[in-house]
Amino acid sequence: MPFVPAAFVTAPFVSVLHSEWLKIRTLRSLVAGLGAAVLVTAAFSALAGLDTSGDADSDPLFSAFFGVSFGQIAMIAFGTQAMASEFRGGALRTSLAAVPRRGRWFAAKTVAVGVSALVAGLLTGCASLAAGRAALGDRAGATSWSEGLRAIVGCGVYLALMALFAAGLTALLRSGVATLSILVPFLLLVSFVVGDMSGNVADLLPDRAGQVVLHQTWDGMLGPWTGLGVTAVWTSAALVAGTWSIRRRDA
Amino acid sequence: MTSIDVRDLTKDHGATRAVDRLTFRVEPGRVTGFLGPNGAGKSTTMRLVLGLDRPTSGTATLGGRAYATLDEPLRHVGALLDARAAHGSRTARDHLRVLAASNRLPGRRVDEVLEEAGLAPVARRRVRTYSLGMRQRLGIAAALLGDPQVVLLDEPSNGLDPEGIIWVRQLLRRLAREGRTVLVASHLMNETASFADHLVVLGRGRLLADTALEEFIHARVDPRVRVRTEDGADLRELLARHGYDAVEREAAGDGGERWIVRHARVDDIGRLVSEAGLPVLELAAQDGTLEQAYLDLTATETEFAARHPVRPHPLAPPQSPTRSQEV
Repeated sequence: MPFVPAAFVTAPFVSVLHSEWLKIRTLRSLVAGLGAAVLVTAAFSALAGLDTSGDADSDPLFSAFFGVSFGQIAMIAFGTQAMASEFRGGALRTSLAAVPRRGRWFAAKTVAVGVSALVAGLLTGCASLAAGRAALGDRAGATSWSEGLRAIVGCGVYLALMALFAAGLTALLRSGVATLSILVPFLLLVSFVVGDMSGNVADLLPDRAGQVVLHQTWDGMLGPWTGLGVTAVWTSAALVAGTWSIRRRDA
Repeated sequence: MTSIDVRDLTKDHGATRAVDRLTFRVEPGRVTGFLGPNGAGKSTTMRLVLGLDRPTSGTATLGGRAYATLDEPLRHVGALLDARAAHGSRTARDHLRVLAASNRLPGRRVDEVLEEAGLAPVARRRVRTYSLGMRQRLGIAAALLGDPQVVLLDEPSNGLDPEGIIWVRQLLRRLAREGRTVLVASHLMNETASFADHLVVLGRGRLLADTALEEFIHARVDPRVRVRTEDGADLRELLARHGYDAVEREAAGDGGERWIVRHARVDDIGRLVSEAGLPVLELAAQDGTLEQAYLDLTATETEFAARHPVRPHPLAPPQSPTRSQEV
């Protein structure tokens, strides 16, 4: 694997990754959070599909992914909780006493959270598309297989990026409550309100940019993959800030 | 052989100095008690040794290496810092499995330490349902997971029931006997006296004492002898003739009078009263306790602080030159 940094393939990294994966698997609330993301998204996509009063010019592909706006809250809660559990009762000290190389530890945490979220996100994509199109019935617009596949993959990547965005922010703020009280109002209010004014800097917000991939057509400056790229920049910034906080500050 | 070496260690939290140019060494093969009042810097020192906090200056090493440079450190060093560190929603067994996985420790170690800590029957219960004593046992089990050569425990007896306290005491003695390096922070004097061989005492971040337990007590508390007799006046006269100062404590309920002889060893007093043919109902040595020695030390420190104030108290009367000369 020539493009993978050595730190990621050495035995210590794999064991730390195993440990971080066990941490996620052994907390019922985290597993439930991932399950909730799948169910909430599919449920809201189906509900939106049953609503016949919708405007006719809505995007045929995005109407099957309407639930993502709600499902992403569950995904953000997952990313936040996975990191925030380290900042309770001195848990971080136990973790860093076991893995004193903080960069390695944070990388393993990021990979464990990211891969879990990606897998759940891909499932969410499949479930949402299936549920949404079933509910739409005859009204489901014509979309090609490749568009559907692109949206499913995009949904998985987008939700994984949002979970990691939340995880990075939590590491920076050292508090899950602080992170959620910033992100949830932001996603529910700011993006909805500002988001209607398209064609401006609002398109560069992490959720607006990342959700372009769920649409059949787009008219902004960002396409499906460039949009996800913008979201990835936000996520990287949050993760870099989180790494800085973990490495520099006293545990 | 792995010792803990603390050298010129200093840690500032903003304007307050939590640890102040601390230098000491914790040797293997004995239990070192780490004493000091709350806020003396014990826990901060432990965090510095474990590389969790960064020192303002100075170093802390284990067997010559900084903790942060150890790969799979649980195989060398085990620590209990805070019993609340285990997530309440995880089972005790899962908590230990997570730690074991990170350092590639075999899964059987998890069951071994759970057994050793007496938690095997409740290992699959969520930590949330545990009492403080059980969480403490889990924290100690986690410290033992990698069969480490060095063990650091912060207040291990906290919240333990009497059986638990005895378990910890025997465990610490055994670890030291096996040649391991054991550092135990505590503010329970009698408890520390029951397991420590050596003491490191802190006060306001500074080293106040680094000495063997016995020495520490003997240097600070004079040995006393307790004598019960029906003939107190004769006893007092006899002892006074030999330069001892006997004080009557209280009339013993069980007959006779109880006397305390200060600065005396029981061997000398026993010989004296026997040669004088004085009837004695009871003769016992009263060795100083760690608590007395510790209080004596802290009293000296307080006195020192009072005599060398950083800044005079606004309500204190101005000191006359003659008074300060007395000092």
